[in-house]
This record gives sequence, C-alpha cells and structure tokens, in this order.
Amino acid sequence: MHLFILKRLLIAPFLLAIFSVIAFVLIQAPPGDFLTSYIAELAQGGTSIGQEQIEALRQQYGLDRPTYVQYFVWVGNLLQGDLGTSFEWRRSNAELIGERLALTLTMTTISLIFTWAIAIPAGIISAVRQYSGIDYVITVLNYIGLATPNFLLALLIMWFAFDQFGVTVTGLFSPEYVAAPWSLARVADMMSRIWLPALVLAVAGTAEVARVVRANLLDELDRPYTEMARAKGLPEWRLVLKYPTRVAIAPVISTLGWYIPRLLSGGLVVSVVMSLPTIGPLLLRSLIGQDMYLAGTIILLYSVLTIVGTLLSDILLALLDPRIRTA
Amino acid sequence: MVISARKQRTVRAWLVALAASFLLPGMVFAQSYSEAPALAEAVAAGDLPPVEERLPSNPLVIQPVDEVGTYGGTIRRAFTGPGDSNNYVRWVYDALVRFDSEGAEIVPHLLEGWESSDDFTTWTLNMREGAKWSDGDDFTADDIMFYYNGVVLNEDLTPSTPAWLANTDGTPATFTKVDDYTIQVEFDFPNTLFLTELTFRDGADRTLAAFLPSHYLGQFHPDVAGEEAVQALVDEAGLSSWVDLFMQKAIPPDNADRPTMAAWVAEDSTVSDDVFVVRRNPYFIGVDTAGNQLPYVDEVQFRYFADVEALNFAAVAGEFDFQARHIQMPNFPVLVENSERSGYRVITWPTFGGSDAALWVNQNYTLDEELGELLANRDFRIALSHGIEREEIRESAFLGLGEIRQPVPAPWHPYYPGDEAATRYTEFDPDTANAMLDELGLTRGSDGMRSLPSGAPLRLEISVVPAFGPWPDVAQLIASDFAELGITTDVQVRERTAHFTMRDSNELMMEIWNEDTTAFPFTGNPKIDPRSNPATIFAVENRTWYETNGERGWEPEGSIARIVEIIEEAKTVGVDRQIELAQELYTLASEEVFAIGTVGLTPMIQGVVVINENLRNVPAVVANDWPLRTPGDARPEQFFYGN
Repeated sequence: MHLFILKRLLIAPFLLAIFSVIAFVLIQAPPGDFLTSYIAELAQGGTSIGQEQIEALRQQYGLDRPTYVQYFVWVGNLLQGDLGTSFEWRRSNAELIGERLALTLTMTTISLIFTWAIAIPAGIISAVRQYSGIDYVITVLNYIGLATPNFLLALLIMWFAFDQFGVTVTGLFSPEYVAAPWSLARVADMMSRIWLPALVLAVAGTAEVARVVRANLLDELDRPYTEMARAKGLPEWRLVLKYPTRVAIAPVISTLGWYIPRLLSGGLVVSVVMSLPTIGPLLLRSLIGQDMYLAGTIILLYSVLTIVGTLLSDILLALLDPRIRTA
Repeated sequence: MVISARKQRTVRAWLVALAASFLLPGMVFAQSYSEAPALAEAVAAGDLPPVEERLPSNPLVIQPVDEVGTYGGTIRRAFTGPGDSNNYVRWVYDALVRFDSEGAEIVPHLLEGWESSDDFTTWTLNMREGAKWSDGDDFTADDIMFYYNGVVLNEDLTPSTPAWLANTDGTPATFTKVDDYTIQVEFDFPNTLFLTELTFRDGADRTLAAFLPSHYLGQFHPDVAGEEAVQALVDEAGLSSWVDLFMQKAIPPDNADRPTMAAWVAEDSTVSDDVFVVRRNPYFIGVDTAGNQLPYVDEVQFRYFADVEALNFAAVAGEFDFQARHIQMPNFPVLVENSERSGYRVITWPTFGGSDAALWVNQNYTLDEELGELLANRDFRIALSHGIEREEIRESAFLGLGEIRQPVPAPWHPYYPGDEAATRYTEFDPDTANAMLDELGLTRGSDGMRSLPSGAPLRLEISVVPAFGPWPDVAQLIASDFAELGITTDVQVRERTAHFTMRDSNELMMEIWNEDTTAFPFTGNPKIDPRSNPATIFAVENRTWYETNGERGWEPEGSIARIVEIIEEAKTVGVDRQIELAQELYTLASEEVFAIGTVGLTPMIQGVVVINENLRNVPAVVANDWPLRTPGDARPEQFFYGN
C-alpha cells in the first residue's frame, strides 16, 4: 500500500511536466497571439491601435521570442514559485486565481452537499420502492435533470426570477457588495445568492448519483445478508440504511477524489451565463484572449488537482475494497 | 435628398471653428463660483482650497443641454475588464481640445484657445492660467513640454516619430515653450490637420496623452529623476526596464495615483478591479453657465462583466444608469419592453455615417490568380452590389432601422458626396447583375451555378466575426442572394483572433466589416486608406508596399493610388479644399465599390442608449463615433439627476 502511494507520487512530477507542455502547445496552437486578440478586442470596441505600438508591446511581452523560449521562461518562473503575470489584467496570476479560488470552492462545495443530500435519499427511496409511483417520479426527474444542460436551466431560472419577481440573480453579490471589503454582511449577502448557482450545478450530478445509488442498492437488497437481517426482525428502514446502503454508496464515496478538479472547473458555462466571479470564466477569457501564462497556469492547476484527486480516489477505493490493493 | 440647412450650418461652423471657439470664454462674467456640497464642507474644514482658487482664472464653460443641474448621485455603468479601458477614456474625453456633440467643430477644452499662422505651419496653443491637476498641482506649459521632450524625443519611449507630429523629412515637429501658458508647435509644412489630431491625444488605447503630469511622472523618468533613482524603482517593482515602469504609471485607468485633468478621477481602484470607481475631481476646470463647478454627478462606477449577454441582461433589469457600450442592438425591443418596470428610458444614437455592414472585397487576393483578377474587376463588384437585396437585410438583421446606402459619410456631414454616390449600385436588380456576370464570361452550368472562364467552379467565401452586431446574419443573407445569381458562396464565421490573423496573411477573399471612419478620412486609421493597419482586407499587398517603401508587396495603381494621393494632399490644405477632396474620395469609393455597402446610420455601435429615467441633460442626438469619444461628446459632466 505504501509502495503503491510512493510510486504514484514519484510519477506525478513527470505527468505534470508532460501536462505543462501539452497545455502550452494547445494554448499556442490557435493563430495569432495575445496582441492579435487585443487588437481585435479594441477593434470590436470601435478603437484602433498604431502598428509601432503593437510592435513595442510585442517586445515588452516577449511575444517576439520563439515558443520554446516562452515555455521555458514560464516553467522556470513556475519552479521558483512565480505564477507569472496576466497580460490582460496586468496583475499577478497568483492574485487573480487566489481571489476567485475561495468563492469557487465555496460554491462547488455547497453544490456537492446539495448533490448528496438530495441524491442519496432519492436513490434509496427509488430502490426500496422500485416500480412504485414515487420511483417513477424520481426516475423521470432524474432523466430531466440529466438531459437539461445546466446553463439552460440557469437561463430559465434567471429569466423567471426577473420576469415574475423583478429580481436579478446574476453574480454572487448584490451590486452594493461587489466591491465592498469582506464583512459579515457581505458573507450573508453572498450566502443569500450562492445557493442558486450551487443548486443549478447540483442538478445533473444529483441525477447521476441517484441512479448509481438506486442500481447498487437494488443489487444489495436481495443479498442473503439483507434477507438474514430481515428474518431477524429488524425494522425495514433501519435495516436498509444500516447494511445495504453502506455498500451501495461506497462507489459514490470512493469517487470523491474525482470531484476535486471538478470543484474548480465545474460549471464553467453556468458561471459565464450567471456572471459568477469564479475561476471558470477567468480561464475561458484567458483562452479566448490568448493570455497564455494565465491560461497555462490555471490548466496546470487543474492538472495538479486531477492527479491528486485520482490518487485520493485510488487510496479510498483500496481502503474500501481489499481486492484492489493486491491487484 | 436636398442639402439640408443643417448641413450648410455645419459647413459654416466648420469654417469658422478656429475663429469662433476662443471667443466663447469671454461670455462668462460670473466671478463667484459654486461647488458640490461635499467639496464646500471640505473647504470649510480647511482640507481643500476655495473653489475660486481651484478653478483656472478663465474656466471652461459647458453649456448644459437642457437646464442648469443639481449636484449628487452615482452613475452605474458596466465594462468588460482591462481590455475595455477605453470605456473610461470615452466617458471622460480628457483632451486638450474636443469635438462638439455634432462632431463637426473642434472646441477648446483644457486649452483656452489656439491660433495658427496663415500658412498653417505654426500653431500656438494657449493654456488656461491657474488650471490644476486633480492633486492640486499647476497644469502648465511644462506638462506639454514634458510630453515633447520626455516622450516624443525619447528614443526608448518613442522609437520612431509618431506620424501626427512628423515633418515631411520624418523629423519631429518643434515644440517651444513661449511662457508658462503658451506653447508653439512648428512644422516644416502646412499641417492643417494638427488640431484634429490633437483631439485624439487623450491617453486612449493605453497610449500617452499629449499632456502629462510632469510633477508626478518625472519621478519615473531618467531625464528628470536621474537614471539611478529610476533604476532603483524598476528593480523594486521587478520590471525589466524603465519604459515598463513609466507605462505602468502613466495610464490613468491603470494607476489611481496618477493625477489627471478629467472630470472624474480614480481614488483607489483600477480597470483590473471588479468595480472601477471614479469620483468628482475637485479641480476640474469646467463650470456650467451659472458658475457651478462641474461635474454634477459625484461618482461613476464601472462594474465588471465577464460576459456581454449577462451585461445586457443586467441592463434590462435596470442595473445601469447610463449604458450604450456593449448593449447589443438586437436587444433593443426587449429593452424598450422592460423600460418602465426597470426605471430607464432607451434612446438611439445612429452611427456617424458609413455602413454598419459592408462587404469588403480583397483587391490583392493572391491564393487563386483567376479569382483574384475577378475580385479586382469593378464590373464584378457592381454586379454583386446589384444582387444584394438590402431591404431584407435592413428588416431582418437591423430591425428595420437605418438606411440603405454605400459606405459614405452621413448626409449632414460636410464630406457627404451627394445622394447619387450614397445610393449608387444599391438598387436590387438581379437582371442587371446576371447580365453583367454573363458578360464577364462566368457561365452557368447545368445546376445553374456559375464557373470561372477557365472552367473552374466559382466559389466565394465571406469571412465574418460574430462581433458588433448581426454580421453573421447579414453574411448569410448576402450568400443566399449570391446563390440566386449562380455564385456559390460560403460563410465562414471565425473567432476574431483567427480572422485578424488571416487578414494580415492575406488569406481572406471577402469580409463583413463596418466603415465607421468616413468623417475622418485624413487622420487616424481610416478604413478606406490602404495603408491603415489594422483596417480591413481590401489592399493588404498595397499596404505592405507602403510599409516596406516598395521593397515588397504590390505597387498600388489607379483608384487605390488616387486614394492615397487625395489623403496626402488633404493633410496640407485648408478646410474648403479638404471638403472637396473628401467628396471626391467618397465619390470614387462608391464608384469602385471596394466595400459594398448594405445598411448604415443604424444605432448598431454603442447607439442603443439605456438611461436612468431620472438622468437629465442627455442630448437626444449626438454624433456617435470613436474619434468623438461618444458618449464623451454628449458631455457627461453636465448630466444630473432630477426628480
């Protein structure tokens, strides 16, 4: 077991090195560079910029150097703990990502809690009452949840809220708190808004998890140990929750690790549509604008989390199921 | 259309602009001034000098649009991040001289007035005595001389002389400080466009304004502070050169510490923040006609939106007090529908002439020689123009707004070449179009589609960026019109960076873009000038020829060469001749149809204006264009909240 973890940890840096190259090459793949995109953005705003100035900027940003030089400068700085500076924002990437990190994590954690709090009971009820009215209702809702793109759901809720109640539900803060320093009132304001995007994000996951729990539990409900417990006269609900459910939700728990990268990248489109100050829109924008050091740094951060998350999942699985350890 | 009284008036205004404008300040008689209550309190507390000392001895008088206003309030706006810093630049329109709200006349702003020698080689700039920067320091001739000596003549900051200050031999013009409030600028040729160029030097696009706070920026400039002191600051900031440091400090929306002359100044935020806040400048040089120091509104907030759709939604919900930038024209009906419940009104400011969706045809297309020749054939372009059903485009893509026209200036502008030129070849006439295409040897096959004379299939491509407005829709409509003529036409919707890159490498056949520079063909980056970069696709090889002094690219001939001749001549002649030349230029443009115009004079570009229903003094119509810094030319400093 220890050897297994150690091996995985040793591979991680190599994986990261490969990811960093792939990320950098992919970001550089589209034609043009940050300045082309900057000029295009200016033109879109009805503005133009002189050729001499463009050349001066290109030199200032080091975009006139070959790609591999740009890559090594970036990686060299990363190794020294310097995440670089965003071309577009003229601020350090660490700062830009940092200020969005806490909000992103809060939102996705709440969404994860929603997912489980709704999905696990729904899955259990659905399994225990298989082919009953409530099972069909939950199943239909699940399929709708899975089939509806969550950004569409976000749009519908936004329009409904505005049309019916005259409230806008974009952003994580009311206008008066957007630029305010952190305070209890600001946290309260955020909490009064954050549940909606969290819920929207939770919908698809809920449907997925509920189906998994239902299927697993159905397998377990006929097992001899369940029959045994039933024969001994345990009340049905206690019995179900105590024995087969624990087995049935094991895969859900063991895939917890996969959620870690998703916690950051989750709901990019929803975040864009609802104008949330999370990391997703920052990544999207940096990719469109070819703000390559910012995009690269975010993608590398995702990669780190994916590696860590997968490792965690493997460890959890191994702990839960001894057969995997020896395999 | 007959030449309107409005046009004649504008022509006259244009002609007398120089003389009239510096007489205006003489109309002020009030020697006592009023100020915002908060400032009066600060004065009473001894934190601020009295208003008379803060204003120049001859303040700028801004005529309120409807009435003298009252102080107070916040204007909430939206922006899309640091790349959108011109959102602020347009709002404050902080320049030495500015255009009036019709875009026809240049009027004093930071300058009190100007004179030129009879031959236009020497320009004298008169500054306002006692004008002050937002930190209270004096605004004098030294601040313009600092720009000249420290920036224009400095090879690190300015490797080559900026075109607008270049003499005929390429050397920079000469600036001389006559006294503390007078500057003389001397060219070796009659530079009749100097004043127009000066209106653009307002620190836009993160370039440097033509007037800089020498007392503040001096500490970052080796000529003033000494190389060692500046190098120490560069090292401390972890930058690679003093130029980086200087540029970081010199652009107002990037640095809240940098004093400005604008009506609102940043205190602690920048355009990299979620909300960029600018507050009343207690030293702003302007007053209204009753002697109240402007601006009326205390504060302007720019809230960041990562997504334009979300921004438009917030506008519908009434979250902005004044917003035209980033408002999408197709949302016009939804905005109007919700205006009452959300507490705003919607007005439209049409674009300033030209065309809001023109089909630019590459005259230097090289990827296929036969096709390149065809695109450069005027008859082919005329046939295409006759084949477009513009009324359909106007109805379905432009909500029925605007006019069908070629990309020429607006009818009220002195450069308008006349109705014939404006509507030339815009009539939907498939018979004529087909006859002309047959004449060109483009024969139809059994499937009804045409081939090139060599027998190769004729296949056009329109590249379009989903920007501004309904361009992809316009492209689709044009493509189906062309298919009716037997020309297979593909529409490629491209991400804007890809489109710009392909434009530069001359890979595009045709593109949809607008022509919004018709009122400024002799300055800046006019789209009709083949040398402009970045501009459009129509003559990339000719542009290369000019850029490399004839080493590479194609030498321009015929009409394209004539366009350059016209522009060069206009830079050295008086206003009358400029008007003649501009009219010739646009007559030529409409005859050649390098850009096939569809619909113009719509509110497509930042022309759907959402205004808080209580905000007053917003003009019903202003000339709407980037060189005029709209809405800056509507004079936001005199907007105020009524009840």
